[in-house]
Amino acid sequence: MARITAGVASSHVPLLGVAVDQGKTRDDYFGPIFAGYDWTKEWEKAQKPDVVILVYNDHASAFDANIIPTFAIGCGEHYKSADEGWGPRPVPDVEGHADLAWHIAQSLILDDFDMTIINEMDVDHGLTVPLSMMFGQPDKWPCKVVPLAVNVVTYPVPSGNRCWALGEAIARAVESFPEDLNVQIWGTGGMSHQLQGPRAGLLNREWDNKFLDMLEADDDAVRFIPHIEYLRETGSEGIEMVMWLVMRGALGKKVKTLHRHYHIPCSNTAIGHIVLEPAA
Amino acid sequence: MKQDIHEYLAELEDIPGTRVFTAKRARQGYWLNQFAMSLMKAENRERWKADERKYLDEWAMSEDQKQAILARDYNRCLDLGGNVYFLAKVFSTDGLSFAEAVSTMTDMTFPEYRDMMLNGGRPAQGNRSIKGKY
Repeated sequence: MARITAGVASSHVPLLGVAVDQGKTRDDYFGPIFAGYDWTKEWEKAQKPDVVILVYNDHASAFDANIIPTFAIGCGEHYKSADEGWGPRPVPDVEGHADLAWHIAQSLILDDFDMTIINEMDVDHGLTVPLSMMFGQPDKWPCKVVPLAVNVVTYPVPSGNRCWALGEAIARAVESFPEDLNVQIWGTGGMSHQLQGPRAGLLNREWDNKFLDMLEADDDAVRFIPHIEYLRETGSEGIEMVMWLVMRGALGKKVKTLHRHYHIPCSNTAIGHIVLEPAA
Repeated sequence: MKQDIHEYLAELEDIPGTRVFTAKRARQGYWLNQFAMSLMKAENRERWKADERKYLDEWAMSEDQKQAILARDYNRCLDLGGNVYFLAKVFSTDGLSFAEAVSTMTDMTFPEYRDMMLNGGRPAQGNRSIKGKY
């Protein structure tokens, strides 16, 4: 049977992709950021996940203003890196796991989550930057990926509670897939940042760390944080952290923290990264 | 538990210096954002660079929206329904980094903004609520 063995959360700032692609990951600015991922790179080499369910948001790349799916799952065989205005990132194509993705999509719909299904799309920095942070620069990504895109741009975005419940339903779906697969779930985006308006540049180290503490806790209080709190405390783009709750919801009631990293700043953003595994 | 939509939307307008991308803004800015999105294609970027005004005139945007884009007045673009992830296609085409483009929306120069970020960013204190002033 397939099983979710771990959850990973990470910021997905586009500048991190630039640092990787231009070989700057150990300079004075990026060094302390990337040092926080060294542990995870080694751990992933040992874990060898077959598939990563990668929860991210599209930044006006695959989806334009026309169609706005709240939750969309990529059921294709492969995905190319998107051209976000400066040419596509020079990273390998992302290989999908169509069998598992379709299984999850069907299971979720029967479980009352009315998913949008995507057969073809390009994937932007929201998806490729976390792959670079966890796997470096291989010729081919070492696992298959099921992209799960969440609308965190046009309001109302889904509640934290709904994201957590989606994670629970994903875990049930994975467990009912007959093939023996080692599956990880990643939640990406965040932490505090605001990219717009006169309040741009807001960061909140204290709140972000409280959020990390809440992810580590044995209760589910974190799922009930309202949108307005993310907006007030973490900037307009801090709302991306609801995507971390899909990951956390999939891990069950108790978790064990394997690794945690926080750094300010990367461009406009506070970098957060945590690795959790389900605990009995 | 379901929140009343009117209360929910009213709260979103209570954040200083912030335009939350609500349905109202998404409707107003639809063609502005679709124009920006079109710059993801290299051939469109070439046509845009060759004659910005001519390229804008192909889109069902208001004159205010066109002027805001030509002036690269991103706060004005936000007021007219623009969203930063769409507008990013415009400033990327200009060769601006995200941080530099974002800094133009603040009252700081780019070096001042960069220093603020290196020193921990803008504090939440005093920036959370217009009505509550906290």
